Amino acid sequence: MNPRHLLAMPLKAVLAAGLTCLAGAVFAQSADPDEMARRVDELASELATVKKQLSELEQQKANAMPASSAAEEPTTVFTSYGEINYNRPTHEPENAQADLRRFVFGFQHRFDAQTKLVTEIEFEHAVTSAEDPGEAEIEQAMIEHSLNPTWAVRAGLFLMPVGLLNENHEPTAYYGVERNFVETAIIPTTWREGGVQVVGTFENGVTFQTGVTTGFDLAKWDATSPEGALSPLGSIHQELALARAYDLSIFGALNWRGIPGLLVGGSLFTGGATQGQAVVSASVTLWDLHARWTPGRWDFAALYSSGSISNTAALNMPLVGNPTLIPESFDGGYVQAAYKLWMHGSQVLSPFVRLEQFNTGRRYADLGPGLTPAARPTEQVATVGMNYQITPGVVVKADVQHFREDQDADRVDLGLGWSF
Amino acid sequence: MRIVFVATAAVLAPVAAFAVDYLSAEQAFKLMFPDADHFEPREFPLNAAQMQELEAQGVRARSVHWTVSVAQRAGAPLGYVVVDNVIGKSELITYAVGIGLDGAIKQVEVLSYRESHGQEIRLPAWRRQFVGKTAASSLHSGDDIANISGATLSCSHVTEGVKRIVAVVALARRSGGLP
Repeated sequence: MNPRHLLAMPLKAVLAAGLTCLAGAVFAQSADPDEMARRVDELASELATVKKQLSELEQQKANAMPASSAAEEPTTVFTSYGEINYNRPTHEPENAQADLRRFVFGFQHRFDAQTKLVTEIEFEHAVTSAEDPGEAEIEQAMIEHSLNPTWAVRAGLFLMPVGLLNENHEPTAYYGVERNFVETAIIPTTWREGGVQVVGTFENGVTFQTGVTTGFDLAKWDATSPEGALSPLGSIHQELALARAYDLSIFGALNWRGIPGLLVGGSLFTGGATQGQAVVSASVTLWDLHARWTPGRWDFAALYSSGSISNTAALNMPLVGNPTLIPESFDGGYVQAAYKLWMHGSQVLSPFVRLEQFNTGRRYADLGPGLTPAARPTEQVATVGMNYQITPGVVVKADVQHFREDQDADRVDLGLGWSF
Repeated sequence: MRIVFVATAAVLAPVAAFAVDYLSAEQAFKLMFPDADHFEPREFPLNAAQMQELEAQGVRARSVHWTVSVAQRAGAPLGYVVVDNVIGKSELITYAVGIGLDGAIKQVEVLSYRESHGQEIRLPAWRRQFVGKTAASSLHSGDDIANISGATLSCSHVTEGVKRIVAVVALARRSGGLP
């Protein structure tokens, strides 16, 4: 039974009975009109007091309602996303691959009204063992605590607020089978660090995030591997796995969503990356500017990001002769347009086109004639395809990608993704 | 008067519980109908035929139990308010929809938002998109209601919820369940 009734009904019944008796007594005992008027005034005054008390009691019970009903809400919520992709190089079909690219599950748990735990656990490439290519990793593990409606604090392992994809990286949230190159080669999505940040969300549409985190470790740079040329920062990220933390990094991100459908924002990250392991110290800096505009059925996006590593001459000197030296700068950008061509119930078919340009070795520090690596060629990729949302949370994707430099990489992609 | 108000809020918003509560139901009611002196909750249970009617309009009724508060001044109706919850990405969003006597949306207020991202759905600019829309409007996120980047699910689920509420209120009025 509703506790409101348990409390309120007896009180109302008692009051009603009491007032009836009191009124009866007044009319029975008083014949004098003046006396009767005085008693009626007294009665009215007492009635007002009782009504006020009853009102206060109701208010107290109403205020207590959320606490009691909170227990009925689920405090732990299970989430998952994943994608299975098929890539078929057009000119080298013998290299076609199918892969369970990632399977992620996570949960949120609320400790109280202000505090929750957010986690994501990811498995890549289906099987993880010493002989298999898979990886198992914790993608997020953070505590979020709301201070008030405007400010919140996050601490733990969290996604960096950089670009358009990093914090919203589920396959249902982006166009194309694979994540775009700029936000994998330049911004190492899914990029996370350990640390603490504050998040402010303001009435004018501005979201501000800033914090102190772990950073990159240049001691992990493998000059013999091509990995550093594919994603300079992706090859030296630490992901809070026994992360060297001699150097800490700072970041800030500002996003504005003041007009419905429009997002304009940017971010800056900088921090030491030699972690006290080299005779020289070097730092990594990465910034980006991004915009997304979704008027009606259209979805336009643009992003540019640029990164730099300081003191690379001193760091590269002992590595000379190896294929992959540390770049001084790297950058890239893309523009993308999508249109909801067909909608039927919850099914949506959205063709899209994306043009990307990126360079993972835009410039190398001068090591002297014959030793300084040549800048890498700027790659340009055109992607044309479509996302077919079967139902919110499930998407089938298909696209064709053309590479201007590395034409052997031209490919056809098919993908299945989900998120809930 | 006040007792009625509190009781109405309690009936309509039983889960104003977690995280960031921006407005109480009482505050939202007053914001939407500042001239009202009374909000009378009316139960409107949907029967099977009415649920099918909603389905035919492309609206999932979700529940047979609906409570619509009638904003009144001196006994005359001014409009309707419904408080509801939808799931954003994984947590509840509590919101209120105010509808005028002409069946058009007067105001949408977000009472409580619990997700880590997408708090921007409470921005006035986003909520204003609903004003004037009726049961005949498309009310489709990413179509006549612009999305907020990074809060796609919250936007679409609140939009679906608002569409459902407008349809239920229109149905209740057609069937004589509301003044």
